Amino acid sequence: MGDENTILGATHARHLLRRAGFGARATDVQAFAGLTRGVAADRLLSFKPAKFRPGGKDIWRRRVSWLKYMVRVRAPLQEKLVLFWHDHFATGNDKVQDHAWMADQNRLLRLHCKGNFKDFVKAINVDPAMMEYLDTFRNFKDQPNENYARELMELFTLGVHDLAGAPNYEQQDIVQIARAFSGWGWDYSRRRVAFRDWAHDYNSEYESERGPKVIFKSHGGFGPSGRDFTQPGGEGPQEISQVVDILFEHRDSDGKSTVARFITGKLLEYFAHRLPPYPDNATIIDRIIQRSGFDTSWDLRRLVREIFVDDFFYETAAPPFTSTIPKSVVWPVDFVVTTLRLLKVNPRSDKWGNWYIEGGAYGNVTDYLAEMGQILFEPPSVFGWDWEESWINSATLLARYSFARDVAMARGNKSYHLRPQLLMDLSLTAPSDIVDAVTNVLGIADQLTASERQTLIDYLGSGPLDLNDPGVRQKKLHGLFALALQAPHFHLH
Amino acid sequence: MALSRREFLIRTGLAAGGLMAGGLWSRPLVRKAFADIGDRFLVSIFLDGGNDGLNTVVPVANGTSGNFRTSYELLRRTGPGGLRLLESQLSPYAIDNDPNTGTPLALHPGLEALHRLYQLGKVAVIQGCGYPDYNLSHAVSRSIWETASLGGTGSGWLGRYLASRYGASEIPALSVGYWTAAEFRQQTTSVLTAIRLAELEFPLDDWYPDDDAAKKTAFQSLYAAAQSSPQLMLRYVGNSGQATLTATQAYPALNGLYQADRNSWLQQYNGLDSGTARRLREVAKVIYGITQGAANVSARHFALSNGGYDTHSNQGTIGEGAAHYDLHREVGDALEVFYHDLDDMGVADKVLIMVWSEFSRRPQQNDNGTDHGSQGPMFLIGGKINGGVYGNHPNISDPRVLNPGATWDDGNTKYSQDNSYPHRSTDFRDVYGAVLKHWLAIPESEILSSLLVTDSGDPTQYWTVPNFNFVHPGNSNPLFLP
Repeated sequence: MGDENTILGATHARHLLRRAGFGARATDVQAFAGLTRGVAADRLLSFKPAKFRPGGKDIWRRRVSWLKYMVRVRAPLQEKLVLFWHDHFATGNDKVQDHAWMADQNRLLRLHCKGNFKDFVKAINVDPAMMEYLDTFRNFKDQPNENYARELMELFTLGVHDLAGAPNYEQQDIVQIARAFSGWGWDYSRRRVAFRDWAHDYNSEYESERGPKVIFKSHGGFGPSGRDFTQPGGEGPQEISQVVDILFEHRDSDGKSTVARFITGKLLEYFAHRLPPYPDNATIIDRIIQRSGFDTSWDLRRLVREIFVDDFFYETAAPPFTSTIPKSVVWPVDFVVTTLRLLKVNPRSDKWGNWYIEGGAYGNVTDYLAEMGQILFEPPSVFGWDWEESWINSATLLARYSFARDVAMARGNKSYHLRPQLLMDLSLTAPSDIVDAVTNVLGIADQLTASERQTLIDYLGSGPLDLNDPGVRQKKLHGLFALALQAPHFHLH
Repeated sequence: MALSRREFLIRTGLAAGGLMAGGLWSRPLVRKAFADIGDRFLVSIFLDGGNDGLNTVVPVANGTSGNFRTSYELLRRTGPGGLRLLESQLSPYAIDNDPNTGTPLALHPGLEALHRLYQLGKVAVIQGCGYPDYNLSHAVSRSIWETASLGGTGSGWLGRYLASRYGASEIPALSVGYWTAAEFRQQTTSVLTAIRLAELEFPLDDWYPDDDAAKKTAFQSLYAAAQSSPQLMLRYVGNSGQATLTATQAYPALNGLYQADRNSWLQQYNGLDSGTARRLREVAKVIYGITQGAANVSARHFALSNGGYDTHSNQGTIGEGAAHYDLHREVGDALEVFYHDLDDMGVADKVLIMVWSEFSRRPQQNDNGTDHGSQGPMFLIGGKINGGVYGNHPNISDPRVLNPGATWDDGNTKYSQDNSYPHRSTDFRDVYGAVLKHWLAIPESEILSSLLVTDSGDPTQYWTVPNFNFVHPGNSNPLFLP
């Protein structure tokens, strides 16, 4: 059993850097190997959230702006977290139709990415892009709209069922919570979110028809009288924060904090891999909550730290791979940003907002990402993206292979080209040395079996190779980069 | 380059030792598979987000009982944000009456093209499809429909059928989209996923074609190693990569074939300029390829989806720009071209199209849209379909529906399989069972023991419809014509 004082070897350091960032550079692996898990996690989490807000005059430019930022950011964990929260609080510009609001939300996600989770949820409640996406702007006392109330519980805080499979709430709870969110709108003159008394559902008008503003009479451990969300501050704009306070007191059928278990489980699966079935998942989740105090402090920074020092996190780091623990599929954005960061390739930009690889099919990076199944600012639905196996099918794999091919074909001496001389020693001549150098650059050397390594060596031929000869280098070395980027191991953590 | 099936399997490294020994056709499962589906095809179309059933199959006037039009007008109002479809707008799209109440029904005006197919007798409307204790979460309800289990977990319902009939080296199904349709999900056989067949081309370095063979050899070797790894996810990626490579060698040719032989149809799909039309176009290319004997193409099961049905707001009524109207137009128009394309190929009798959604929507509209609801209509379309209206219209005159607040209910129509309930609902698994039994020729015993789980409902009645034998309420002939 390891803990925060366990010293990281190179393999575990590489795993931590890949999971907490976008790829592991050899120099970073060197710097982290020898640290304890705790010191390494603290170092990764020491960033101060940037105020960055994706810029541009349309959603396509803002998408590229965010991607470029991910490629250059000094604290990649910050963006790994923002990506997680974008998936968690999924909001799509296909419905919002306001790219400035989407950019505002992106900055909000960054600001709170490792902060207090309860404050984070309260901020999301009144985020204009979210209020538009889930119809809080269209929730009136006489025409209630349940969309946000449902997703607030199902997707953002509790989940439909707890770990043991018991329901966390019922339809009546959704109906009542929708009342709390009635009356909020966009004030066009002041350009901000506003609470409008005239559209809010007050008990004085609706209690006889809709009953008292009470939730969780049957779920959450509040007892048969449930909880009144007009307390302690009374009715009005404060109801939505009071609802969140009650949600955070919700207990599941094991008597544990439902919110803490839900969020901890999801972050664990994001940073590590799929959890085992109940009750084994509860054991892992509960020990991390217990160590981090997340169920009382709601401090995401401490929660993520405890994930990074737990044995569960390191289970898939290195071979031999077992049949019981599933590795995790690299997200498309992670694959693309990792590739560009590790290979130091900066795609070209033009005045029309394109951002493309000058090689192969000259594809726009965002088009490739769409084909891989991930369009930033346009998740497929309020559920965000489907993870793991769902990322992998023939369409998405071909997009990944094509992007890899394009990057490897971006030959030349400009910053938008793949320049192996920046990454490795071109005086190497033995195929085995060249393979080791390339797999080290990509951080997958310790993932390959001996026979897989031999496959790559065989691809180069019997050698020796003169990599300073452009013909040899561009055919075989660039080909080797393409193959290594297409190899199954580069797409799994 | 035309390859024999044997060469093809060897080249792509998919041939397992035992498999090739006596040839593919000697495998009992594969023989069985082709025997079951024969020369038929199945297309599943998912309306993503919860299609509003009440504005899809609409009461035009009151019937002999139920007062559904009166209730409809209470639930759907006119004026700004109102969702009511007027009698005059509906009457051109009339279909058969509700079998239960005699209520005159019509399709949404956006479905005018589907209505033309209905008039040809090729569309079955199956009303009130759902399941007990319906779940109003998109994700959960969708999973329930995809897995055909009320817990919403496990493999896809068609996936279980595919896994029982096909092996790892087969590609029996195509998902047209970026995602593999979850009704196909399983880990035994390969499901191809593509937006466009033309894009199923393996990317290689244009500068050094003389290195292509070396790259492919190394690629195959890496993926073959992954396929035999004990690591489940590595194996999954290995299988998917190999199937992808296989597909890149067989499917792109279908594109050119269709373009050459059926260009006028191609133009019709392209003229509609919609995602659904483009996706059905790709299905048509595969079906045409198979009818022309294209080598190494065997996908007979297809899935695609059309999103945007989660109309909590701005649902609209009719005319371009009205959200629900546009959605119906997209699907209906594309289906009409697809059906006539199939008919022209001579295979309309060989294709079954099933249209479904994860739930319907609340009868009582909100400000200008509708919230999540319960049971809704399904469509079965095809040359062998005995067109008409099956199942009962949900009871929208229920006081719980008309005045939900007073009764502390969620305001949705009552789902009930109780024989004595006059508006008895239809379990969606009855429809799945009918498709498996009558279209895919699966024995009923196998359907009930392994493909559909009888976790509720009366096993002697198979939920609602005895022995999955739907009977047309008007002409008393079976839903699937012989």
